[in-house]
Amino acid sequence: MLYILLWNIIIRLSSQSVLIPLNNFLCRLNELLKHFEMYGFGTELPMTGDKVFVHYVGTLLDGTKFDSSRDRGEKFSFDLGKGQVIKAWDLGVATMKVGEVCHLICKPEYAYGSAGSPPKIPPHAILVFEVELFEFRGEDITEDEDGGIIRRIITKGEGYTKPNEGATVEVTLEGTFEGCVFDQKDVKFEIGDCESFNLPVGVEKAIMAMEQGEESLFTIAPKYGYGSAGNAKLSVPPSATLQYKIKLTAFEKAKESWEMNTDEKLEQSSIVKEKGTQYFKEGKFKQASVQYKKIVSWLEHESGLQEEDEKRARVLRLAAHLNLAMCYLKLQEQNQALENCNKALELDANNEKAVFRRAEALFAMKEFERARDDFQKVTQLYPNNKAARAQVAVCQRHIKEQHEKDKRLYANMFQKFVERDAKKEAEKGKEEEKGSSKMDIEEDGAEVQIEA
Amino acid sequence: MTLSHLKDIVRRCQAVQDDNFKPEDYELFQIAGREVVEQGGSAQLLEVIKDEKNKNIVRAMGWSLLGPLVKVLIEKEEESLPHCLAIFTHILEVCSPKELLVGLLEQVEDAHPDSITDTVILLLQPLQKVLLKLGSKKASSVGMALATVLSQVARLPVPYTAAQEDEDAFGLCRCCAALLAFVEPFVQEVRLSLGKGGLQDDELRTELLKFCMKCLKEPLMEANLKEDPDSSQKFPLRRFASEILLILSSIREALPSLLFHHLLKRKEEPGFLEEDVRYPRESLACLAYLLFVEHIGSESFPAVFSPVFVLQCNMEYIDLLLSRKEESRLQKGLDLYEKSLVRLEDNSLPVMLLELKTFLSVPQNLVNVMTLCPIQNLRTRALSVFQLSIDKFDMEAKYKFFRCMLKTSSHAGVEGYVIKNIRNQIDFALKPGNGNPWFLGIHLLPLLRLALSLPQGPETDLLQGLDRIMESLNLLRYLLLRDKESENETGIWTELYRIEDSFMKPLRLGLNMSRAHYEAELKSVRESRKLRAREAKAGGPVCTVTVGGEKLPNMTPEMQLQVLQSALNTFDMIEIVLARIEEITEVKPNV
Repeated sequence: MLYILLWNIIIRLSSQSVLIPLNNFLCRLNELLKHFEMYGFGTELPMTGDKVFVHYVGTLLDGTKFDSSRDRGEKFSFDLGKGQVIKAWDLGVATMKVGEVCHLICKPEYAYGSAGSPPKIPPHAILVFEVELFEFRGEDITEDEDGGIIRRIITKGEGYTKPNEGATVEVTLEGTFEGCVFDQKDVKFEIGDCESFNLPVGVEKAIMAMEQGEESLFTIAPKYGYGSAGNAKLSVPPSATLQYKIKLTAFEKAKESWEMNTDEKLEQSSIVKEKGTQYFKEGKFKQASVQYKKIVSWLEHESGLQEEDEKRARVLRLAAHLNLAMCYLKLQEQNQALENCNKALELDANNEKAVFRRAEALFAMKEFERARDDFQKVTQLYPNNKAARAQVAVCQRHIKEQHEKDKRLYANMFQKFVERDAKKEAEKGKEEEKGSSKMDIEEDGAEVQIEA
Repeated sequence: MTLSHLKDIVRRCQAVQDDNFKPEDYELFQIAGREVVEQGGSAQLLEVIKDEKNKNIVRAMGWSLLGPLVKVLIEKEEESLPHCLAIFTHILEVCSPKELLVGLLEQVEDAHPDSITDTVILLLQPLQKVLLKLGSKKASSVGMALATVLSQVARLPVPYTAAQEDEDAFGLCRCCAALLAFVEPFVQEVRLSLGKGGLQDDELRTELLKFCMKCLKEPLMEANLKEDPDSSQKFPLRRFASEILLILSSIREALPSLLFHHLLKRKEEPGFLEEDVRYPRESLACLAYLLFVEHIGSESFPAVFSPVFVLQCNMEYIDLLLSRKEESRLQKGLDLYEKSLVRLEDNSLPVMLLELKTFLSVPQNLVNVMTLCPIQNLRTRALSVFQLSIDKFDMEAKYKFFRCMLKTSSHAGVEGYVIKNIRNQIDFALKPGNGNPWFLGIHLLPLLRLALSLPQGPETDLLQGLDRIMESLNLLRYLLLRDKESENETGIWTELYRIEDSFMKPLRLGLNMSRAHYEAELKSVRESRKLRAREAKAGGPVCTVTVGGEKLPNMTPEMQLQVLQSALNTFDMIEIVLARIEEITEVKPNV
């Protein structure tokens, strides 16, 4: 019955405010409600995004208990201010201190509204929660949840999209170590390229967890900072735990395929191809591949094009697949390289580079026979390709070697393990070989410019 | 003969010291034992087994008799049944649990397809006994037993109607009940250990979790789990579902973290191996269905989550369910989507949600159900849920959603439906006091351009695209009549010249071409009817119809004429509306 009384008072006091904020009022209404509440200690309030741990008991106005974490015997935790819980909670718990117990009395608009939450909460229900805050802590944004990057949100951003790999971001950041600012700047860069701006990888990871307009404080462990080496240029000592205040002012969100019309897609494709080539020349294969992939995603399923556009689209796609194949070869992701070569060959059945690169991918996968066939195909179609001819011979040698190895392997079971070690050695050798052949392919890297 | 043979072997083995039996002893014992059972000598065998002198032999080799015994027990051969049961019980008492476990599981695995239920029900209790004897090291054995039994149970057809479930012809429901009794002591053990501060990554707990997840997928995903409104008695499978959820809560696997796992975890890549086994998506989808649609387990689910957040999480599962073809899954997906939506206020979902992939893929799947699903009532339900989802979006989200659907759905019926929705939104916006920036003025124009267009110009197939074209025309006519030229709130009047070029002109051209084509066709059919001899040939190219990949029988000339005539009528209908629109616009001198 006290609830009703309280409710009336609050309605009168705050008819214009929708949420009934509770501990402030409760404080003011101290006399009346003393036995309900307990003050918290400390001065710190939880911040948006913090993980908070509470116990609560929820009742309807008639006193029916509909939910209680205490009955479940386990504290309830959630990320504050992220819309995970009803509005009354996001707002109410943000005003609590650790140790505090308060009652949140929630109007339906701030709880489950006209629909209610079947089966427990009827429509238009006013809910009363007794909440006790036990703990809150910054959010760990690392993939492994190893506590390496902790975020405290100062201002929440908007939207659900976060910068992904390859997105261009504009940030204002301030890095401090033990209270001293060591880095302060506004930068615009592409995710994946932080090193060019002398930023640690942790900053990049942090930005990738941010929303548009968000401002946050990050605590970054050395592992994600400048590591055991530190950074002399910025006078950051070895193994320093860094603080960064970062504001994500803007980022370029790649348009969804359906948001663009054909002209836009073609135009954008040409632009990102340039970008990709630029990255490729700088040896940033990963970033380059991100760009080329965009072309594929935009144009792959575009149908019903005018003849001329169709031609342009084909050329762009072919180049994208060829260049992707090259990137993946460099990144040693042979499967992906293979797949892109096949896609390219679908577009142009006898493309020299596509066959050659597929052969290279197969070679790296130790599929020597198939690699040889492809290299041979190149020599047949393009007699001038000396590299292919040389590779045919190399393949032959490997096939023979493998053959003999197999023979020995099966001949003597006991020898097997010894052989395996030997093989490992051989592989090592081959890798070195590959290292040298990389030099040959570098010339091929220039071909990417031809593609451009 | 065989009995004396067995006695010989036993006598020989009695002399062996310290259980040092040779492999061939096992084999001979097993063969002889089997023969004795098969030839109805179980009474004598019982004597041999119970003989105190043979204690060691039975302890070491008894398990090898499980096969023939189980066969008798399942087939319920009257004469030998009591003796075999006694031998079976005795063996279970004295043999080593490890060997018994392997022996029993072998029997489960080898069960004849027709006697899966009987075998499972017969052997679960002995299995439980044996496992309990294993003491603290049983976790992986429990896991193995559960996996073996479940994979057999999964072969049973799942009843779908109430009557089928009642009848339980294949015994699935009985198996489920037996399974619950089987896991009960293990659940208690984990509960007690957790109560005493035991570890969450306890092995036995993990095995039980896997069991629950498997049950959610099979059989529960395929079952109809709705409550029977007429009777207070719960259906067996529904009861099974609630028990599974109770087990989850007993082993402290919190439902929120199970369900929201994918949203809250940072790792994007799908979990490898262990994770996959622990949290299969499909099982979680079934769990979400049970919780949010059937309200099973809701008493232990926190009532503080925001409906938007719940929707966001459920979208993953809805997407998964709606991407399938089976009725049971589609039904669950539609129910889950509907129930997640009704908890929201109309016009409340912000546009930002459309940034999430699932908010675009779910409607795509929904469109597929609406247009391709062979089950009529699912198609209708899909459409109503589709409309419900539109209603929940706020203005900007509706706007973006319509644009997206017009660009991606590529189905005239769906596009027509979306265009009708656009008209309703404009109508709403034009009412006094409702003005909104998305369905009037400059924002509206790009949407109108999309809605008032012919996707393939004059070559558009007018019959195929009829639903869309008629809605486009209706929209245009509505705009011209409702929005005064002097006010031009929607911007239609200043846009008209463009629409004339992009929509009305090509449409008229298309109409003329189609009409000419069909009239010619009509003429040729009529002629060919006169020349009966040629009829088949003339009928060929126009009128082969395939439905679901099956060719329908060729049409008779009468039917062909009817179809062609009705096509021409359709063109008339389009033309009338088009003419009406031109009339309206012509009255205005400055257009």
